[in-house]
Amino acid sequence: MSFIEWIFLLGGLAVAGPLIAHLLAKPRFKRLPFTMLRFLQSGQVQSQSRRKLRDLLILLLRCAIIILIALLFARPILHLRSKPKQAKHLYSLGLDNSMSMAYSDGDTSLFDKLKDSAVDYVRVAEPDSLFNICALASGNWQEELSQDQALAEINALDVESTSATIADFLSGLRRANRVKHPDDTMSVFVLSDFTPITLHQFVRIADPAGMDEIDYKPMLSSKPVNNAAIVEAHVVSMAEGKLTISVAVVNYGAIPQERRLTAQAGSHESPPVNIRLLPNQREIYPVQMDIGDAGPETSFWPVELSLSEGDGLQADDTFYLAVSIPGQNDVNVLLVGESEHELFLLKTAMDTLSRMSTYNALRIRQISFDKVSASDLKWADVTVCSTITDRLGYVAPDLKDFINAGGKLICFTTEFIASGAIKQLWQQGVLAALPGKCVRGRTYIQPKPCDHHISGVDHTAAKSLSNYRIDKILLKGYLECEPHANSRCLWQLQNGSGFVYLKPLGKGRSIFVNTSADDSLGTFTKSNASVAFCQYLLGQDNQIDEHCFVRDERVILPLPDTAKQEFWVETCDGKKRRAAAADMSLLIPDPAGIGWVKTLGKPTLYAGINLPPGETDMTQPDVAELDNIMKRVFPANVERDVSSADVLGDKKPRPIWKVLAWAIILLLLIEPAVANRMRR
Amino acid sequence: MKDSRRYLDPVFLSTLGNMDLVARCAVEGFFSGLHPSPFHGFSVEYSDHREYHAGDELKFVDWKVFGRSDKLYIKQFQQETNTTAYILLDSSKSMSFAGDGKISKMDYASFLAAALSYLMLSQSDSTALTLFAETVTKYIPPHSKRTHLNMILKTLQHNKPAGQTNLAGVLHTFAETTKRRGIVILISDLLDDRDDIFKGLAHLKFLKHDVIVFQTMDHQELNLDYEGLIQFEDLESKQKMRTFPRSLREGYRRRVAEFLDEIEKTTGNTGIDYCLLDTSQPLDRALVAYLAKRKRLM
Repeated sequence: MSFIEWIFLLGGLAVAGPLIAHLLAKPRFKRLPFTMLRFLQSGQVQSQSRRKLRDLLILLLRCAIIILIALLFARPILHLRSKPKQAKHLYSLGLDNSMSMAYSDGDTSLFDKLKDSAVDYVRVAEPDSLFNICALASGNWQEELSQDQALAEINALDVESTSATIADFLSGLRRANRVKHPDDTMSVFVLSDFTPITLHQFVRIADPAGMDEIDYKPMLSSKPVNNAAIVEAHVVSMAEGKLTISVAVVNYGAIPQERRLTAQAGSHESPPVNIRLLPNQREIYPVQMDIGDAGPETSFWPVELSLSEGDGLQADDTFYLAVSIPGQNDVNVLLVGESEHELFLLKTAMDTLSRMSTYNALRIRQISFDKVSASDLKWADVTVCSTITDRLGYVAPDLKDFINAGGKLICFTTEFIASGAIKQLWQQGVLAALPGKCVRGRTYIQPKPCDHHISGVDHTAAKSLSNYRIDKILLKGYLECEPHANSRCLWQLQNGSGFVYLKPLGKGRSIFVNTSADDSLGTFTKSNASVAFCQYLLGQDNQIDEHCFVRDERVILPLPDTAKQEFWVETCDGKKRRAAAADMSLLIPDPAGIGWVKTLGKPTLYAGINLPPGETDMTQPDVAELDNIMKRVFPANVERDVSSADVLGDKKPRPIWKVLAWAIILLLLIEPAVANRMRR
Repeated sequence: MKDSRRYLDPVFLSTLGNMDLVARCAVEGFFSGLHPSPFHGFSVEYSDHREYHAGDELKFVDWKVFGRSDKLYIKQFQQETNTTAYILLDSSKSMSFAGDGKISKMDYASFLAAALSYLMLSQSDSTALTLFAETVTKYIPPHSKRTHLNMILKTLQHNKPAGQTNLAGVLHTFAETTKRRGIVILISDLLDDRDDIFKGLAHLKFLKHDVIVFQTMDHQELNLDYEGLIQFEDLESKQKMRTFPRSLREGYRRRVAEFLDEIEKTTGNTGIDYCLLDTSQPLDRALVAYLAKRKRLM
């Protein structure tokens, strides 16, 4: 028997406790005068000896429990002497079934060649050898296979639409190395095309795995490589019903490429773009397709970009780009202020924003607080108030209806705010934060707003605000605010006070900005950051989004307003799976391939799943460099870790903690029963 | 419990404090609890008529007969037969045992002695009291006057148990020193050598005494209902023994039962009335036993 954590054996010394207690402790007894002692005495001798025996039994029981617990923590391994056996040979095969292995140079694909080589390798091995096979794309291991099982496993292997993961392969090898018999021989055989992306993973291995024998075979095309791939695509613009996409195409081979690039989205198709690429050349091509004018609602477009046939690998000739195009709606902005001058800066910023927008236009109406009415709020999509006045208190129910219906209320503040109106607005749940007393402290704006996605504000604009050195903008004061229970503080001042609060209410949102639109509390809106800040507050409704993921990436889609918490999605393999919505996002389970993932039912959202970039880069490795790398990663004749398996010779280690645990449980159950009986 | 029976409860009696009150409560409680009582009529009873002779007391003339027959007749009554009762009360240390802490065997025995004394003296029987342990520690000679009761009760009240039991020796001594026959009432736990006890009792019986033995035992002495580890200390010998009573209980009860059975058999064979009294029980069993004995004698 050996122990993994032998230090815990010292815990066995705790048996001294009950032993000392037994030796020193005097039994607690009650003194009683009595008269008929002679009737007791005849039975006493037998009782005393029985009691001593029972005391001893309890002592032994308790000592046994302590010792067993110490043994359990020490993690004992029982080494059963097994029958003498012949040393066997253990073969570990790393078979690259990543997408690049699907490349075909005419007759057969690289993967077919790999399978043939692997089969030959297994067949020439000794009949009683054992085989561990790792599919490098998935990292799955099939262990201790017989020769026939190994051949069947190789034949069943298929290409997967992802890259090879070498880390899983190495960790499996180390594990097999640890548990193998000392006399066994362990060989590793790696079959891969050793694309740059795979080779780079081998280079990054810091902890080599020592093997008795190492063999590898690069699966290379016998002819010059003929492969081009679409590696990247982005939406450039959407104007006049035309969607323009820039597409990066790379020639990964040694043969010049003359292909045609087309984009297709449903029934819409772009005119083909002729591409000419020299070996190892990367070029970006614009593709334009007419998808018609955007409607009032957001539309989702699964754009499939594809190259015409003509190379040895089809899988990387298609790129899946899901695009969401927001509905084209002019935004009605109602600016409410004390005077025209007060809102001059804001109006200027919004005019600028409207002019800059390539998509939506802002229609601005400016009125004073006295004239705010329900009809104005009905007209507006966004209402911006320079501060909180008594009049807002009167129209608090109207403001609540306005937000509930999907409107956005943006409230700036000054040091002079109407407490009565605040109370009414707070009671209606309209305010995102309850402003308190004015602090005339000088503080700077914290340049890092909330990182995670919050629907209702523009995060791209938030990032761009950093470029305006907003951390240098000094506010003259601020209000101490208490956020509403449903509110989130999106932005803070440098002293930790809240700067921007957002509260969802019905279909709309209420935003409270803890600074003024004039000079009373802050100078922010006077700065050149005011336009970007306006864009931040108005939100990202006018942005075209791309939902394009890599195979191994976690797929998360932003959700439009919906009460649904659970969606059924169709993954790339055509199967239906369940996806959960959380925090305005939809978490898609494993997409199971490359292609489209889409939600079933309304709203229909798309996500494009593509190969990892560089996966089909067929650049052939330098043989000498490859040899060096493999020798470094799999050093031969390296002394393995001296583990318990080595020390034991031909003994088979068996952990016995379960037996100990059961014994302890049994003794713990027996002990009270015995002790209770002893006390009688 | 009926109100009258309440006065027979030893625990209640122990709260009274005054031994005179104890005796009265016990006896009156006893009698008022008997309906109808089988023990009435022990007082002076009419027997016959005879002719008047000079010198006869006029108070015994039956004037009704004289009215009818013009002859003087004297009413003859059954002659009162006063007996002497000797109460032998064990005052050894073992009698101080009180298993449940409520009432000791000594208290119980004292109440019994007081009640019996009260009863006897109210029936004009001479009553003597002997307290003993290893030897006789106190002796009150027999008298039938009611005032004698005070002395007996006072003695009982101030009695403190002490010393070891030497029952056989005391019985022999008593037998040798007592000239007049009577009822010997032995109140003791009989925790002494069995053979010696029987010899002493046989000695009394040989001298034509009527003997009643009241063996007072505590409930715990009979049953040993203790739990846990206990160190028992003998009240008389000071011996100590530590044990778990539960483990010995069965054997103990068996041995005690054998001991009591042997006493009962032996006393029965020798014509001695035997009554085992549990100190947790009322006093009426003892009083009934005494009265039954006296009735047989009359």
